[in-house]
Amino acid sequence: MKEHDAIITVNHLNLHYGEHHALKEIEVGFARHKVTALIGPSGCGKSTLLRCLNRMNDLVENVRIEGEVRFEGTDIYAPEVDVVEIRKQIGMVFQRPNPFPKSIYENVAYGPRVHGVRDRSTLDAVVEKSLRDAALWDEVKDRLDAPAFSLSGGQQQRLCIARTLAVEPEVVLMDEPCSALDPIATAKIEALIEELKTRYTVIIVTHNMQQAARASDYTGFMYLGELVEFGDTPQVFEAPREELTERYITGRFG
Amino acid sequence: MPEITHPGTGSTRLRALKEQGVRSVWFLAASFATLTVFFILLFLLQDALPLFATVSPLEFLTGDTWNPTGAVPSYGIWPLIVGTLLVTLGAMVIAVPLGIGSAVCLAELAPPRVKAVAKPAIELLAGIPSVVYGFFGLIILTDWLRVAFDVPSGESWLAGSILLGVMALPTIISVSEDALNSVPASYREGSLALGATRWQTISRVLVPSALSGITAAVILGMGRAIGETMAVIMVTGNAAIIPDPITNLLSPIRTLTGTLGIEMGEVAVGSTHYHALFGVAVVLLLITLTVNLAALWIMKRIRAGYGTEEQGRHRLRVPGLQRKARLIVGIVLALLVLLILPLPAAAALLVLGAGAVLVHRRLSRANVQHLAFALLWASLGVVLAVLAVILGYIVVNGLPAITWEFLTQPPRDLGRAGGIFPAIVGTLYLVGGAILFALPIGIGAAVYLSEYTRGGRVTTAIRAGIDLLNGTPSIVFGLFGFTFLVIFLNFGVSLIAGMITLGLMILPTIIRTTEEALKSVPASVREGSLALGATRWQTIRRVVLPPAVPGILTGTILSIGRAAGETAPILFTAAVFSTRFLPNSLDDPVMALPYHLFILATTVPGAETQQYGTALVLLVLVVGIYAVAIALRHHSQKKIHW
Repeated sequence: MKEHDAIITVNHLNLHYGEHHALKEIEVGFARHKVTALIGPSGCGKSTLLRCLNRMNDLVENVRIEGEVRFEGTDIYAPEVDVVEIRKQIGMVFQRPNPFPKSIYENVAYGPRVHGVRDRSTLDAVVEKSLRDAALWDEVKDRLDAPAFSLSGGQQQRLCIARTLAVEPEVVLMDEPCSALDPIATAKIEALIEELKTRYTVIIVTHNMQQAARASDYTGFMYLGELVEFGDTPQVFEAPREELTERYITGRFG
Repeated sequence: MPEITHPGTGSTRLRALKEQGVRSVWFLAASFATLTVFFILLFLLQDALPLFATVSPLEFLTGDTWNPTGAVPSYGIWPLIVGTLLVTLGAMVIAVPLGIGSAVCLAELAPPRVKAVAKPAIELLAGIPSVVYGFFGLIILTDWLRVAFDVPSGESWLAGSILLGVMALPTIISVSEDALNSVPASYREGSLALGATRWQTISRVLVPSALSGITAAVILGMGRAIGETMAVIMVTGNAAIIPDPITNLLSPIRTLTGTLGIEMGEVAVGSTHYHALFGVAVVLLLITLTVNLAALWIMKRIRAGYGTEEQGRHRLRVPGLQRKARLIVGIVLALLVLLILPLPAAAALLVLGAGAVLVHRRLSRANVQHLAFALLWASLGVVLAVLAVILGYIVVNGLPAITWEFLTQPPRDLGRAGGIFPAIVGTLYLVGGAILFALPIGIGAAVYLSEYTRGGRVTTAIRAGIDLLNGTPSIVFGLFGFTFLVIFLNFGVSLIAGMITLGLMILPTIIRTTEEALKSVPASVREGSLALGATRWQTIRRVVLPPAVPGILTGTILSIGRAAGETAPILFTAAVFSTRFLPNSLDDPVMALPYHLFILATTVPGAETQQYGTALVLLVLVVGIYAVAIALRHHSQKKIHW
């Protein structure tokens, strides 16, 4: 993998929650402008790995992280790195839609505002573009001042994606973004992911193997904190190198 | 509640009857609070109304002279209303920024170890009796102000506001912190993941989301400040004048509560002055009721709001309206500031505000965060420092007074010598009686509210009664005890009258904490018991009450602490300054520690050592009781995992 044009590379990454060794010697590179899926059974560490990539694990108490995560060559865990700047460039969409208790407009404008944009017309433009990119504009353009909670679950999740895009990140991390959604909303998000990869690097954690097979270019299979297998999605699903991977994707355990 | 009974079998009918009987007893207990509120209002009004034969209501409310004992008596309470509002306003100016700052610091910044120390410390601050605050204010604070501003006396509006501000802090901090903690963690994550700094996340997402809870906290703190009596009497100078100019912070001032505390003890029962004082009490009660109802209303909306995002839909308003509302609030506030402050001060404030905005825009995000966090830590630091100064001062000065004689002998020479033994015993009697009176009724009411009813008009009325009782100022309980128990029931100034008055005052606390303890027992436990064929009462007695005992105990201990420290309710119902004898019966008046300290500090010159000694004994007693309650709650929270 490393020979590809990787935007994020992970070297010897180990993570402990207190006594629990949650990530073991992770080595992986994430390709630019591609979709990479991380799959594996519950508790295998895939979400933990994802949250290491924009340092969201900093918020967890009692966590110890060793090794490197390099974004465009810079180790994001180096002491001089500004975590806020990292999160600006590596955005994240969460498992459950988590809009702020603000209007649709204010939710999308929040990111640009905290990064110093004050001009109203610039904000208007960013909001419209982000909502269009998230395929939500046509559904909400007449009620931008309505509270975000008035949207359906699927719409809320696309709003959260729009909110992430408004910051113009390089990478979008998605932590099981469809697990709280119905099949129709899921299909919309998957279509959106396909769109996004032309301009963004997408890394998605999913429980749903069909989703990984459909939507991703690369797939990593994780088990008990280790990255068991990583490769082209067709290869991983059709001709897995590891027996563990094969047993998981054929549903013989997990 | 439909019961399946088999007619003809005597034992089931008996059981049904017993269930019904138990239920009725608890219903009566629950109704008691509502009846008490009704009686309080009735008796206050009955004693206030005759006033209006002499003075018109308008004259009473808007008259600018309060001089009921003059040659030509005059009964205008306008200066007292203004005094109450000004002292409260000043207290809020001090307490709101400090309180919210500390709450944000505790909720968002403080590491667990700091939290583990700071939170109980702030709860202890709530436990310090108001007469001890008053004593500290009288001896230390007013003296500092006198020297600092070079005025003849520091007893002033400013002194009252500082003291009341400190007293309102614990309420504001703990309720605000709860509100901040109830903001879903996903909001925080969402904001940080967008590259917002921690301060941006706090100021733009977390605090706005918790705003209604924080507002309720401020209003509750305000209610506490308005209803406070003893501390205010001791530091405000008590001149019934409107400060001239209105911004003169060093002017003495007099509040509604202060007037009651000072004059009620010396007034002739049945005189116009007597009726006027009850009129004052009614006005005071109306103000505090309004304030507390406002807080309750806001809290209810929050409780309906947060739980899930689904419910949030109904709670949120259209942002356009919010923006307008914010603008209006801003304009009103600006006008108020301009009205109250003299022009130069207002101009300075505006320049300062504009400067702050400019600096804010110039600084980098990281520096804004540094600045903001420094201010938040500073506010928590100030709060803890105040606690340390008050406790430290009283302990250091009080320790030399503590001798065997002091603790075991009656006072001599008006308390300048001898000890405080009868006051210690009297306080224990009063508190013991109050608990014996309030505990059965309180637990019964809580059982009824938590286990037997889900809603309906009667329940709403009962709950409203309890809430109103909770918001009633302690001096109003004192007045009610005086007119109802001492005069109407002819108990005289006696131990029993004090016990019942204090009991009524702590009743809402016991009901609330017990109900919360009962509610924390999961419904599945009850269902499990009922599914085995146990009756409702069997279920409550054997399954629901036992795990709730630590919670109930905590509430009881907190109530004991509160009852031991209160002065205003026993001022006219039970307490005397000096007796050489312990009470022989419930009809005897008693000495009590808070009252003893009040009289020593305000009317007996040359008893400094005894003052500090009494304050220390009272403080140790009350704070000790609170510490036990806090430790107990901590312990039981750790132990039970459902």
